[in-house]
Amino acid sequence: MVMLRGFLVLTAFFVIGEALRVMLALPISGGVLGMILLTLLLMVRGSISDSLANASQALISVLVLLIMPGVVGVFFQADQFASEWLAIALALLAGTFLSVLTTLWVMQRAVAGRPKAGTGE
Amino acid sequence: MNNPGLLPDPGLKDIWVYLSASPLLGLTITLVAYGLAYRLYLRTGSSPWANPVVTSVALLIGVLVLTGSTYDDYFAGAQFVHFLLGPATVALAVPLYQQFSRLRQLWLPVTISLICGVVIAGGSSIGLAWLLGGSTEIQMSLAPKSATAPVAMGISEKIGGLPSLTAVLVVLTGITGALLGTKLFEWLRIKDDTAKGIAMGVAAHGIGTARAFQVSPQMGAFSGLAMALSAFATALLVPWLVDLMAAML
Repeated sequence: MVMLRGFLVLTAFFVIGEALRVMLALPISGGVLGMILLTLLLMVRGSISDSLANASQALISVLVLLIMPGVVGVFFQADQFASEWLAIALALLAGTFLSVLTTLWVMQRAVAGRPKAGTGE
Repeated sequence: MNNPGLLPDPGLKDIWVYLSASPLLGLTITLVAYGLAYRLYLRTGSSPWANPVVTSVALLIGVLVLTGSTYDDYFAGAQFVHFLLGPATVALAVPLYQQFSRLRQLWLPVTISLICGVVIAGGSSIGLAWLLGGSTEIQMSLAPKSATAPVAMGISEKIGGLPSLTAVLVVLTGITGALLGTKLFEWLRIKDDTAKGIAMGVAAHGIGTARAFQVSPQMGAFSGLAMALSAFATALLVPWLVDLMAAML
């Protein structure tokens, strides 16, 4: 029952996220909005209940399972992209490469630019 | 369900026809494929090559093709799993909140590099896909690919991409980032685990983070932080970036 209470918090924020998305016509999904709102609430409260932590952990540990049905769908739509696979592959490769490189470079620059930056842990 | 080629026995065929008409079967094969793929992943020492998404999906597609099932039949059962993606996305708030404490003194460099990384990841893939003649649908499906799958799928759906294509691209991006990133850090002789972790988490979300934890706990922790923040930043920045680029291109 304890986990169910945590699950209720998640579905409640999902509902609030969906409602906000529809009311304000936002270009973000209800789940993502719910995530942002719950994060803000947790930061304000400064603590997490065990039931919420358990319910979240249970769902996050099977994220791979949850995206499987969606991923399988692409196989059945593959014909649609047959002529575009090269553009997709190159954009994906170069995009990933550039974002790793940019983040790394900016991060090193930004840390080096500080007089005595923290080194994490 | 129309042509179960694998089952010649008429008795078995009757049972198959009955079972495949109920959502139970789609749900069960999804769970079985996941279980098998996850075992394989652990067996290989969590190698990015044996990513459980890739192997489980390959297994599922194999079963669906061999049994002649349509996606609609399969999805009738799999939708129960699929639906939980919504609450699971909300659940990401918990690690996001827990990771915030790591930000302390590093919040400014992390925020700046995160914004640059997210904008470059989205902008460069939209731009490149556009240059190479990819349709708008493809460009929009690529744009949020560096964020974790549920968030990326949620964004893709709302900016005119295909969530299922985005899911595939997210996984491929994660694998590419995990493999390419590690090599890149070697070539460039980067020693700083904090910077490496941040770069990995921004570009390659959970798959990159799993890889980062294999290198060092510090790199893993910062990758986890960057992955959580990048989901946040992608959700806020990418829809805006898409509008901006649509006006330019």
